[in-house]
Amino acid sequence: MSDQEIPPRPAPVPTNFSQPFWDGAKEKKFMLQYCLDTGKFQFFPRPNSLYTGRRNLEWREASGDGTVYSFTVTRRAPPAFRGREPYVIGSIQLAEGPRMMAEIIGAQYEDIKIGAKVRIAWEEINEDFNYPVFELVE
Amino acid sequence: MAKKDIAIVGYHETKIDVNTGRSPLDFAGEVLDGLLGQTGLEKDAIDGFAVCSAMSGMSTPFWSVVVSDYLGMELNWCQQVDIGGSSPLGAVARAGSAIRDGQCEIVFVLGADSQSSQNLSNPRGWQPEFQIPVGLMGPPGAFGFITNRYDGVYGLDLKALAKIAIAQRGHAVMNENAYEKFRKPITEDDYLNSRMISDPVRLLDCVMPCDGGNGVIVMSTERAKALGFSKMVHPIGFGERDNHGVNNPDTDILETGHCVAGPKALAQAGMTVDDVDMFQPYDDFIIAVMLQMENIGFCERGQGCAYVMDTDLTHTGNLPLNTSGGQISAGQAGLAGGGTNLVEAVRQLMGEAGERQVAGASNAMVTGIGAIPYLRNWSCSTVMILEAG
Repeated sequence: MSDQEIPPRPAPVPTNFSQPFWDGAKEKKFMLQYCLDTGKFQFFPRPNSLYTGRRNLEWREASGDGTVYSFTVTRRAPPAFRGREPYVIGSIQLAEGPRMMAEIIGAQYEDIKIGAKVRIAWEEINEDFNYPVFELVE
Repeated sequence: MAKKDIAIVGYHETKIDVNTGRSPLDFAGEVLDGLLGQTGLEKDAIDGFAVCSAMSGMSTPFWSVVVSDYLGMELNWCQQVDIGGSSPLGAVARAGSAIRDGQCEIVFVLGADSQSSQNLSNPRGWQPEFQIPVGLMGPPGAFGFITNRYDGVYGLDLKALAKIAIAQRGHAVMNENAYEKFRKPITEDDYLNSRMISDPVRLLDCVMPCDGGNGVIVMSTERAKALGFSKMVHPIGFGERDNHGVNNPDTDILETGHCVAGPKALAQAGMTVDDVDMFQPYDDFIIAVMLQMENIGFCERGQGCAYVMDTDLTHTGNLPLNTSGGQISAGQAGLAGGGTNLVEAVRQLMGEAGERQVAGASNAMVTGIGAIPYLRNWSCSTVMILEAG
Protein backbone atom coordinates (compact mmCIF):
# COMPACT_ATOMS: atom_id res chain seq x y z
CA MET A 1 0.00 0.00 0.00
CA SER A 2 1.44 3.41 -0.93
CA ASP A 3 1.54 6.31 1.50
CA GLN A 4 -1.23 8.10 -0.44
CA GLU A 5 -3.70 5.31 0.28
CA ILE A 6 -3.20 5.35 4.05
CA PRO A 7 -5.89 7.49 5.68
CA PRO A 8 -4.87 10.12 8.24
CA ARG A 9 -4.88 9.38 11.94
CA PRO A 10 -8.23 9.78 13.68
CA ALA A 11 -8.50 13.42 14.80
CA PRO A 12 -8.23 13.99 18.55
CA VAL A 13 -11.29 15.03 20.56
CA PRO A 14 -10.19 17.97 22.74
CA THR A 15 -11.72 19.02 26.04
CA ASN A 16 -12.27 22.66 26.93
CA PHE A 17 -9.18 22.60 29.16
CA SER A 18 -6.90 20.88 26.64
CA GLN A 19 -7.71 23.22 23.73
CA PRO A 20 -4.55 25.34 24.27
CA PHE A 21 -2.45 22.26 23.49
CA TRP A 22 -4.13 21.92 20.08
CA ASP A 23 -4.04 25.66 19.42
CA GLY A 24 -0.28 25.45 19.94
CA ALA A 25 0.03 22.29 17.84
CA LYS A 26 -1.66 24.04 14.92
CA GLU A 27 1.33 26.43 14.90
CA LYS A 28 3.74 23.56 15.63
CA LYS A 29 4.31 24.87 19.13
CA PHE A 30 4.57 22.18 21.80
CA MET A 31 2.62 23.51 24.79
CA LEU A 32 2.60 21.95 28.26
CA GLN A 33 0.78 22.84 31.45
CA TYR A 34 3.04 24.26 34.16
CA CYS A 35 2.20 24.32 37.88
CA LEU A 36 3.19 27.73 39.24
CA ASP A 37 3.17 26.48 42.86
CA THR A 38 5.58 23.57 42.39
CA GLY A 39 7.47 24.53 39.22
CA LYS A 40 6.58 21.19 37.61
CA PHE A 41 5.14 20.43 34.18
CA GLN A 42 2.36 17.91 33.54
CA PHE A 43 0.99 15.92 30.61
CA PHE A 44 -1.74 15.08 29.55
CA PRO A 45 -3.69 18.29 30.21
CA ARG A 46 -5.85 18.27 33.34
CA PRO A 47 -8.24 20.72 34.96
CA ASN A 48 -6.01 21.06 38.05
CA SER A 49 -2.38 20.69 39.06
CA LEU A 50 -1.48 17.01 39.52
CA TYR A 51 0.75 18.08 42.37
CA THR A 52 -1.36 20.46 44.44
CA GLY A 53 -4.96 19.95 43.31
CA ARG A 54 -5.17 23.71 42.77
CA ARG A 55 -5.77 25.48 39.47
CA ASN A 56 -2.72 27.71 39.55
CA LEU A 57 -1.58 26.56 36.10
CA GLU A 58 -0.29 28.21 32.95
CA TRP A 59 0.69 26.97 29.48
CA ARG A 60 4.37 27.16 28.51
CA GLU A 61 6.12 26.17 25.31
CA ALA A 62 8.26 23.06 25.82
CA SER A 63 11.58 22.20 24.19
CA GLY A 64 10.35 19.20 22.23
CA ASP A 65 13.36 17.19 23.42
CA GLY A 66 13.01 13.82 25.06
CA THR A 67 14.40 10.35 25.59
CA VAL A 68 12.84 6.92 25.12
CA TYR A 69 11.58 5.55 28.46
CA SER A 70 10.08 2.47 26.80
CA PHE A 71 8.66 1.43 23.45
CA THR A 72 6.63 -1.14 21.58
CA VAL A 73 5.94 -1.94 17.96
CA THR A 74 2.41 -2.40 16.71
CA ARG A 75 2.21 -5.36 14.35
CA ARG A 76 -1.55 -5.82 14.55
CA ALA A 77 -3.05 -2.34 14.44
CA PRO A 78 -6.45 -0.96 15.40
CA PRO A 79 -8.73 -0.75 12.32
CA ALA A 80 -8.03 2.95 11.64
CA PHE A 81 -4.31 2.19 11.37
CA ARG A 82 -4.38 -0.87 9.11
CA GLY A 83 -1.78 -0.49 6.39
CA ARG A 84 0.62 1.46 8.60
CA GLU A 85 2.01 -1.59 10.44
CA PRO A 86 4.54 -2.14 11.72
CA TYR A 87 5.10 1.14 13.54
CA VAL A 88 6.98 2.02 16.70
CA ILE A 89 5.30 3.80 19.63
CA GLY A 90 7.40 5.30 22.38
CA SER A 91 6.82 6.29 25.96
CA ILE A 92 8.83 9.50 25.68
CA GLN A 93 10.33 11.09 28.77
CA LEU A 94 10.16 14.80 27.95
CA ALA A 95 13.06 17.06 28.97
CA GLU A 96 10.51 18.94 31.12
CA GLY A 97 9.70 15.78 33.12
CA PRO A 98 6.38 14.26 32.05
CA ARG A 99 6.04 11.28 29.73
CA MET A 100 4.15 11.30 26.45
CA MET A 101 2.95 8.51 24.17
CA ALA A 102 3.81 9.08 20.51
CA GLU A 103 4.83 7.30 17.33
CA ILE A 104 8.56 7.39 16.67
CA ILE A 105 8.44 7.93 12.93
CA GLY A 106 10.99 6.69 10.43
CA ALA A 107 12.42 4.22 12.94
CA GLN A 108 12.79 0.46 12.93
CA TYR A 109 12.10 -1.47 16.13
CA GLU A 110 15.68 -2.72 16.12
CA ASP A 111 17.00 0.88 16.07
CA ILE A 112 15.30 1.92 19.31
CA LYS A 113 16.87 1.60 22.72
CA ILE A 114 15.80 2.85 26.12
CA GLY A 115 17.47 6.23 26.64
CA ALA A 116 17.66 7.06 22.91
CA LYS A 117 17.30 10.80 22.22
CA VAL A 118 14.23 11.94 20.30
CA ARG A 119 12.79 15.24 19.17
CA ILE A 120 9.24 16.28 18.41
CA ALA A 121 7.87 16.59 14.89
CA TRP A 122 4.32 17.22 13.71
CA GLU A 123 2.06 15.21 11.45
CA GLU A 124 -0.84 17.03 9.85
CA ILE A 125 -4.19 15.26 10.28
CA ASN A 126 -6.36 17.99 8.75
CA GLU A 127 -6.44 21.79 8.65
CA ASP A 128 -7.38 21.94 12.34
CA PHE A 129 -4.99 19.42 13.84
CA ASN A 130 -1.28 18.73 13.80
CA TYR A 131 -0.49 15.61 15.83
CA PRO A 132 2.74 15.18 17.81
CA VAL A 133 5.16 12.48 16.69
CA PHE A 134 8.86 12.04 17.50
CA GLU A 135 12.00 11.34 15.50
CA LEU A 136 15.26 9.76 16.60
CA VAL A 137 18.09 12.32 17.00
CA GLU A 138 21.43 11.14 15.67
CA MET B 1 -4.98 -10.38 65.27
CA ALA B 2 -6.84 -11.01 62.05
CA LYS B 3 -10.58 -10.39 62.04
CA LYS B 4 -12.71 -13.40 61.17
CA ASP B 5 -16.07 -11.74 61.67
CA ILE B 6 -17.02 -11.82 57.96
CA ALA B 7 -17.66 -15.02 56.02
CA ILE B 8 -18.08 -16.08 52.41
CA VAL B 9 -20.50 -19.00 52.53
CA GLY B 10 -21.13 -19.73 48.87
CA TYR B 11 -19.63 -19.36 45.41
CA HIS B 12 -20.76 -20.01 41.89
CA GLU B 13 -19.41 -19.48 38.40
CA THR B 14 -20.69 -20.23 34.93
CA LYS B 15 -18.87 -21.93 32.12
CA ILE B 16 -16.70 -19.35 30.33
CA ASP B 17 -17.29 -19.15 26.59
CA VAL B 18 -16.90 -16.87 23.58
CA ASN B 19 -19.57 -15.07 21.54
CA THR B 20 -22.44 -16.70 23.40
CA GLY B 21 -24.92 -14.01 22.41
CA ARG B 22 -26.21 -14.18 25.99
CA SER B 23 -27.12 -11.05 27.93
CA PRO B 24 -25.04 -10.39 31.06
CA LEU B 25 -28.40 -10.45 32.86
CA ASP B 26 -28.74 -14.09 31.88
CA PHE B 27 -25.30 -14.87 33.37
CA ALA B 28 -26.37 -12.94 36.47
CA GLY B 29 -29.46 -15.10 36.75
CA GLU B 30 -27.46 -18.29 36.34
CA VAL B 31 -25.07 -17.22 39.12
CA LEU B 32 -27.92 -16.33 41.50
CA ASP B 33 -29.64 -19.64 40.82
CA GLY B 34 -26.40 -21.51 41.48
CA LEU B 35 -25.75 -19.64 44.73
CA LEU B 36 -29.28 -20.22 46.07
CA GLY B 37 -28.99 -23.90 45.21
CA GLN B 38 -25.59 -24.26 46.86
CA THR B 39 -26.34 -22.30 50.04
CA GLY B 40 -30.00 -23.21 50.52
CA LEU B 41 -30.74 -19.52 51.12
CA GLU B 42 -34.06 -18.05 50.01
CA LYS B 43 -33.70 -15.21 47.53
CA ASP B 44 -35.45 -12.79 49.88
CA ALA B 45 -32.86 -13.38 52.60
CA ILE B 46 -30.42 -11.37 50.46
CA ASP B 47 -30.63 -7.69 51.38
CA GLY B 48 -27.37 -6.39 49.91
CA PHE B 49 -26.08 -6.39 46.34
CA ALA B 50 -22.78 -5.32 44.83
CA VAL B 51 -22.19 -5.77 41.11
CA CYS B 52 -19.04 -5.20 39.10
CA SER B 53 -19.38 -2.86 36.16
CA ALA B 54 -19.56 -4.57 32.78
CA MET B 55 -18.49 -3.95 29.19
CA SER B 56 -21.80 -5.34 27.95
CA GLY B 57 -25.35 -4.40 28.82
CA MET B 58 -24.67 -1.35 30.90
CA SER B 59 -24.92 1.78 28.83
CA THR B 60 -27.14 2.77 31.74
CA PRO B 61 -25.75 4.61 34.77
CA PHE B 62 -28.20 2.58 36.91
CA TRP B 63 -26.62 -0.84 36.37
CA SER B 64 -26.81 -2.20 39.93
CA VAL B 65 -30.48 -1.18 40.20
CA VAL B 66 -31.38 -2.68 36.83
CA VAL B 67 -29.64 -6.01 37.45
CA SER B 68 -31.11 -6.44 40.93
CA ASP B 69 -34.56 -5.48 39.60
CA TYR B 70 -34.32 -8.19 36.94
CA LEU B 71 -33.36 -10.67 39.67
CA GLY B 72 -36.29 -9.64 41.86
CA MET B 73 -34.21 -8.49 44.80
CA GLU B 74 -35.56 -6.04 47.37
CA LEU B 75 -32.51 -4.49 49.03
CA ASN B 76 -31.17 -2.33 51.83
CA TRP B 77 -27.78 -1.80 50.14
CA CYS B 78 -27.12 -1.69 46.40
CA GLN B 79 -24.05 -0.59 44.53
CA GLN B 80 -21.83 -0.99 41.50
CA VAL B 81 -18.09 -1.33 41.95
CA ASP B 82 -16.14 0.07 39.02
CA ILE B 83 -12.45 -0.48 39.73
CA GLY B 84 -12.15 -2.82 36.77
CA GLY B 85 -10.69 -6.24 37.49
CA SER B 86 -10.20 -5.16 41.09
CA SER B 87 -13.98 -4.89 41.51
CA PRO B 88 -14.85 -8.37 42.85
CA LEU B 89 -12.33 -8.12 45.71
CA GLY B 90 -13.30 -4.49 46.26
CA ALA B 91 -16.95 -5.54 46.39
CA VAL B 92 -16.29 -8.25 49.01
CA ALA B 93 -14.35 -5.74 51.13
CA ARG B 94 -17.06 -3.09 50.80
CA ALA B 95 -19.73 -5.67 51.60
CA GLY B 96 -17.85 -6.62 54.76
CA SER B 97 -17.73 -3.00 55.86
CA ALA B 98 -21.43 -2.48 55.13
CA ILE B 99 -22.34 -5.62 57.10
CA ARG B 100 -20.18 -4.52 60.06
CA ASP B 101 -21.89 -1.13 59.92
CA GLY B 102 -25.36 -2.66 59.96
CA GLN B 103 -26.39 -1.39 56.52
CA CYS B 104 -27.28 -4.89 55.35
CA GLU B 105 -26.90 -8.50 56.47
CA ILE B 106 -26.49 -10.84 53.51
CA VAL B 107 -24.77 -9.60 50.35
CA PHE B 108 -24.70 -11.07 46.86
CA VAL B 109 -21.44 -10.03 45.14
CA LEU B 110 -21.84 -10.48 41.39
CA GLY B 111 -19.73 -10.23 38.26
CA ALA B 112 -21.47 -10.86 34.93
CA ASP B 113 -20.29 -9.70 31.54
CA SER B 114 -20.58 -10.71 27.90
CA GLN B 115 -17.69 -8.67 26.53
CA SER B 116 -17.04 -10.96 23.55
CA SER B 117 -20.68 -10.74 22.49
CA GLN B 118 -21.24 -7.05 23.08
CA ASN B 119 -18.86 -4.25 24.11
CA LEU B 120 -20.60 -0.96 24.84
CA SER B 121 -17.75 0.68 26.75
CA ASN B 122 -16.57 4.04 25.47
CA PRO B 123 -12.92 5.10 25.31
CA ARG B 124 -12.02 6.67 28.62
CA GLY B 125 -10.76 10.13 29.50
CA TRP B 126 -7.53 10.88 27.67
CA GLN B 127 -7.87 8.10 25.11
CA PRO B 128 -9.75 9.88 22.29
CA GLU B 129 -7.21 12.68 22.49
CA PHE B 130 -3.83 11.24 23.39
CA GLN B 131 -3.96 7.49 22.77
CA ILE B 132 -6.33 6.53 19.94
CA PRO B 133 -4.72 8.94 17.39
CA VAL B 134 -1.30 7.46 18.29
CA GLY B 135 -2.43 4.00 17.18
CA LEU B 136 -1.63 2.04 20.33
CA MET B 137 -3.10 -1.47 20.20
CA GLY B 138 -4.92 -1.23 23.52
CA PRO B 139 -3.80 -3.34 26.47
CA PRO B 140 -1.16 -5.37 24.53
CA GLY B 141 0.45 -2.06 23.56
CA ALA B 142 0.44 -0.84 27.15
CA PHE B 143 2.01 -4.10 28.30
CA GLY B 144 4.54 -3.75 25.48
CA PHE B 145 5.86 -0.65 27.28
CA ILE B 146 5.94 -2.52 30.61
CA THR B 147 7.66 -5.59 29.15
CA ASN B 148 10.33 -3.71 27.19
CA ARG B 149 11.09 -1.52 30.19
CA TYR B 150 11.49 -4.64 32.33
CA ASP B 151 13.80 -6.17 29.76
CA GLY B 152 15.86 -2.99 29.54
CA VAL B 153 16.21 -2.49 33.30
CA TYR B 154 16.48 -6.05 34.63
CA GLY B 155 16.66 -8.38 31.63
CA LEU B 156 13.77 -10.70 30.86
CA ASP B 157 14.00 -14.49 30.84
CA LEU B 158 11.26 -15.61 28.47
CA LYS B 159 11.50 -19.12 29.89
CA ALA B 160 10.12 -17.77 33.17
CA LEU B 161 7.12 -16.21 31.45
CA ALA B 162 6.59 -19.44 29.53
CA LYS B 163 6.68 -21.39 32.81
CA ILE B 164 3.84 -19.27 34.23
CA ALA B 165 1.79 -19.73 31.05
CA ILE B 166 2.36 -23.49 31.02
CA ALA B 167 1.49 -23.94 34.72
CA GLN B 168 -1.75 -22.02 34.39
CA ARG B 169 -2.72 -23.87 31.23
CA GLY B 170 -2.15 -27.16 33.01
CA HIS B 171 -4.67 -26.07 35.62
CA ALA B 172 -7.24 -25.00 32.99
CA VAL B 173 -7.13 -28.52 31.58
CA MET B 174 -8.58 -29.67 34.94
CA ASN B 175 -11.22 -26.89 35.07
CA GLU B 176 -14.49 -27.82 33.41
CA ASN B 177 -15.62 -24.18 33.55
CA ALA B 178 -12.64 -22.98 31.48
CA TYR B 179 -13.12 -21.94 27.86
CA GLU B 180 -13.14 -25.30 26.10
CA LYS B 181 -10.55 -24.50 23.43
CA PHE B 182 -7.99 -23.64 26.15
CA ARG B 183 -8.33 -27.03 27.85
CA LYS B 184 -5.24 -28.57 26.29
CA PRO B 185 -1.63 -28.26 27.49
CA ILE B 186 0.89 -25.89 25.90
CA THR B 187 4.67 -26.20 25.66
CA GLU B 188 7.49 -23.71 26.02
CA ASP B 189 7.82 -23.68 22.22
CA ASP B 190 4.10 -22.92 21.86
CA TYR B 191 4.59 -19.87 24.09
CA LEU B 192 7.83 -18.66 22.49
CA ASN B 193 6.51 -19.14 18.95
CA SER B 194 3.10 -17.55 19.46
CA ARG B 195 2.74 -14.55 17.19
CA MET B 196 3.75 -11.05 18.23
CA ILE B 197 0.89 -8.65 18.90
CA SER B 198 2.75 -5.59 20.17
CA ASP B 199 6.42 -6.46 20.67
CA PRO B 200 7.50 -8.05 22.89
CA VAL B 201 3.97 -9.10 23.89
CA ARG B 202 2.94 -12.41 22.30
CA LEU B 203 -0.51 -13.89 21.77
CA LEU B 204 0.00 -16.35 24.64
CA ASP B 205 0.85 -13.44 26.98
CA CYS B 206 -2.63 -12.03 26.52
CA VAL B 207 -5.99 -12.73 28.07
CA MET B 208 -8.90 -13.35 25.68
CA PRO B 209 -12.21 -11.53 26.21
CA CYS B 210 -15.06 -13.99 26.80
CA ASP B 211 -18.51 -14.13 28.37
CA GLY B 212 -19.36 -15.43 31.82
CA GLY B 213 -20.44 -14.76 35.36
CA ASN B 214 -19.46 -15.51 38.94
CA GLY B 215 -20.43 -14.53 42.45
CA VAL B 216 -20.20 -15.12 46.18
CA ILE B 217 -22.46 -14.70 49.20
CA VAL B 218 -21.08 -12.64 52.10
CA MET B 219 -22.48 -12.34 55.63
CA SER B 220 -21.27 -12.04 59.21
CA THR B 221 -19.59 -15.12 60.64
CA GLU B 222 -22.09 -14.98 63.49
CA ARG B 223 -24.98 -15.13 61.04
CA ALA B 224 -23.32 -17.89 59.03
CA LYS B 225 -22.95 -20.02 62.14
CA ALA B 226 -26.53 -19.30 63.21
CA LEU B 227 -27.72 -20.46 59.77
CA GLY B 228 -25.75 -23.67 60.18
CA PHE B 229 -23.08 -23.21 57.50
CA SER B 230 -20.30 -25.70 58.12
CA LYS B 231 -18.00 -24.43 55.35
CA MET B 232 -16.97 -20.80 55.18
CA VAL B 233 -14.04 -18.65 54.14
CA HIS B 234 -13.00 -15.47 55.95
CA PRO B 235 -11.49 -12.42 54.25
CA ILE B 236 -8.87 -11.65 56.91
CA GLY B 237 -6.81 -9.04 55.09
CA PHE B 238 -7.44 -6.50 52.34
CA GLY B 239 -5.44 -3.76 50.68
CA GLU B 240 -6.39 -1.47 47.81
CA ARG B 241 -4.29 1.11 45.95
CA ASP B 242 -5.76 3.15 43.08
CA ASN B 243 -3.88 5.48 40.69
CA HIS B 244 -0.53 4.54 42.19
CA GLY B 245 2.12 7.05 41.11
CA VAL B 246 -0.29 9.38 39.31
CA ASN B 247 1.27 12.54 40.75
CA ASN B 248 4.85 11.51 40.04
CA PRO B 249 5.88 12.23 36.44
CA ASP B 250 8.91 9.97 36.91
CA THR B 251 6.91 7.05 38.29
CA ASP B 252 8.34 3.58 37.65
CA ILE B 253 6.10 1.71 35.19
CA LEU B 254 7.28 -1.53 36.85
CA GLU B 255 5.99 -0.49 40.27
CA THR B 256 2.41 -1.62 40.86
CA GLY B 257 -0.02 -0.50 43.54
CA HIS B 258 0.35 -4.02 44.94
CA CYS B 259 3.54 -2.82 46.66
CA VAL B 260 1.17 -0.90 48.97
CA ALA B 261 -1.91 -3.16 48.90
CA GLY B 262 0.03 -6.40 49.42
CA PRO B 263 1.89 -5.52 52.63
CA LYS B 264 -1.30 -3.91 54.00
CA ALA B 265 -3.36 -7.05 53.40
CA LEU B 266 -0.64 -9.28 54.85
CA ALA B 267 -0.29 -7.09 57.95
CA GLN B 268 -4.04 -7.20 58.58
CA ALA B 269 -3.95 -10.97 58.25
CA GLY B 270 -0.94 -11.21 60.55
CA MET B 271 1.00 -13.04 57.86
CA THR B 272 4.09 -12.81 55.69
CA VAL B 273 4.42 -14.03 52.10
CA ASP B 274 6.04 -17.20 53.45
CA ASP B 275 2.70 -18.09 55.06
CA VAL B 276 0.72 -17.91 51.77
CA ASP B 277 -0.57 -21.39 50.82
CA MET B 278 -1.68 -20.53 47.28
CA PHE B 279 -1.49 -17.50 44.99
CA GLN B 280 -4.54 -16.64 42.86
CA PRO B 281 -3.47 -13.37 41.20
CA TYR B 282 -5.35 -11.40 38.57
CA ASP B 283 -3.75 -12.23 35.23
CA ASP B 284 -4.50 -10.12 32.19
CA PHE B 285 -0.95 -10.57 30.89
CA ILE B 286 1.61 -13.17 31.94
CA ILE B 287 4.15 -10.57 33.08
CA ALA B 288 1.53 -9.05 35.41
CA VAL B 289 1.72 -12.24 37.50
CA MET B 290 5.48 -11.84 37.90
CA LEU B 291 5.27 -8.10 38.64
CA GLN B 292 2.79 -8.85 41.42
CA MET B 293 5.14 -11.46 42.89
CA GLU B 294 7.85 -8.79 43.02
CA ASN B 295 5.71 -5.94 44.28
CA ILE B 296 3.90 -7.96 46.97
CA GLY B 297 7.28 -9.20 48.17
CA PHE B 298 7.52 -12.89 47.22
CA CYS B 299 10.92 -11.85 45.81
CA GLU B 300 13.00 -8.72 45.28
CA ARG B 301 12.20 -6.31 42.44
CA GLY B 302 13.98 -7.53 39.33
CA GLN B 303 14.28 -11.10 40.66
CA GLY B 304 10.90 -12.29 39.39
CA CYS B 305 12.27 -14.49 36.61
CA ALA B 306 14.72 -16.26 38.93
CA TYR B 307 11.98 -16.67 41.54
CA VAL B 308 9.61 -18.23 39.01
CA MET B 309 12.30 -20.60 37.74
CA ASP B 310 12.97 -21.72 41.34
CA THR B 311 9.30 -22.20 42.30
CA ASP B 312 6.89 -25.04 41.54
CA LEU B 313 3.71 -23.23 40.48
CA THR B 314 1.55 -26.29 39.91
CA HIS B 315 -1.29 -27.28 42.24
CA THR B 316 1.02 -29.75 43.97
CA GLY B 317 3.91 -27.27 44.14
CA ASN B 318 5.25 -24.94 46.83
CA LEU B 319 3.28 -21.93 45.51
CA PRO B 320 0.22 -23.16 43.60
CA LEU B 321 -0.63 -20.48 41.03
CA ASN B 322 -4.08 -19.74 39.58
CA THR B 323 -5.27 -23.27 40.08
CA SER B 324 -8.29 -22.96 37.76
CA GLY B 325 -6.09 -21.66 34.93
CA GLY B 326 -6.36 -17.98 35.67
CA GLN B 327 -8.09 -15.78 33.17
CA ILE B 328 -5.38 -16.26 30.55
CA SER B 329 -6.13 -19.97 30.34
CA ALA B 330 -9.76 -20.11 31.54
CA GLY B 331 -10.85 -17.06 29.53
CA GLN B 332 -11.65 -13.54 30.73
CA ALA B 333 -15.32 -13.09 31.49
CA GLY B 334 -15.07 -9.37 30.66
CA LEU B 335 -15.05 -7.20 33.77
CA ALA B 336 -16.39 -10.18 35.74
CA GLY B 337 -13.00 -11.78 35.16
CA GLY B 338 -11.63 -10.65 38.50
CA GLY B 339 -14.08 -13.03 40.13
CA THR B 340 -12.63 -16.12 38.44
CA ASN B 341 -9.62 -16.23 40.75
CA LEU B 342 -11.71 -15.24 43.80
CA VAL B 343 -14.19 -18.06 43.24
CA GLU B 344 -11.35 -20.54 42.73
CA ALA B 345 -9.75 -19.52 46.04
CA VAL B 346 -13.05 -19.97 47.88
CA ARG B 347 -13.63 -23.34 46.17
CA GLN B 348 -10.13 -24.50 47.12
CA LEU B 349 -10.52 -23.40 50.75
CA MET B 350 -13.83 -25.28 50.98
CA GLY B 351 -11.98 -28.37 49.70
CA GLU B 352 -14.14 -28.68 46.58
CA ALA B 353 -11.56 -28.30 43.78
CA GLY B 354 -11.57 -31.95 42.73
CA GLU B 355 -8.48 -33.21 40.92
CA ARG B 356 -6.74 -29.83 41.19
CA GLN B 357 -7.34 -29.54 44.94
CA VAL B 358 -4.33 -28.09 46.79
CA ALA B 359 -3.64 -30.42 49.71
CA GLY B 360 -3.59 -28.97 53.20
CA ALA B 361 -4.14 -25.35 52.23
CA SER B 362 -5.71 -23.11 54.87
CA ASN B 363 -5.34 -19.75 53.16
CA ALA B 364 -5.06 -18.07 49.76
CA MET B 365 -3.88 -14.74 48.45
CA VAL B 366 -6.15 -13.34 45.73
CA THR B 367 -5.46 -10.13 43.81
CA GLY B 368 -7.14 -7.73 41.44
CA ILE B 369 -5.87 -5.46 38.67
CA GLY B 370 -8.11 -2.80 37.21
CA ALA B 371 -7.91 -0.40 34.28
CA ILE B 372 -4.93 0.76 32.26
CA PRO B 373 -3.79 4.36 32.72
CA TYR B 374 -1.70 6.60 30.48
CA LEU B 375 1.89 5.27 30.45
CA ARG B 376 1.94 4.18 34.06
CA ASN B 377 1.51 0.76 35.58
CA TRP B 378 -2.13 -0.40 35.96
CA SER B 379 -4.68 1.85 37.71
CA CYS B 380 -6.24 -0.25 40.49
CA SER B 381 -4.56 -2.87 42.65
CA THR B 382 -6.22 -5.04 45.29
CA VAL B 383 -4.96 -7.88 47.49
CA MET B 384 -7.15 -10.07 49.70
CA ILE B 385 -6.14 -12.85 52.06
CA LEU B 386 -8.76 -15.56 52.52
CA GLU B 387 -8.66 -18.12 55.31
CA ALA B 388 -10.67 -21.30 55.62
CA GLY B 389 -13.10 -21.11 58.53
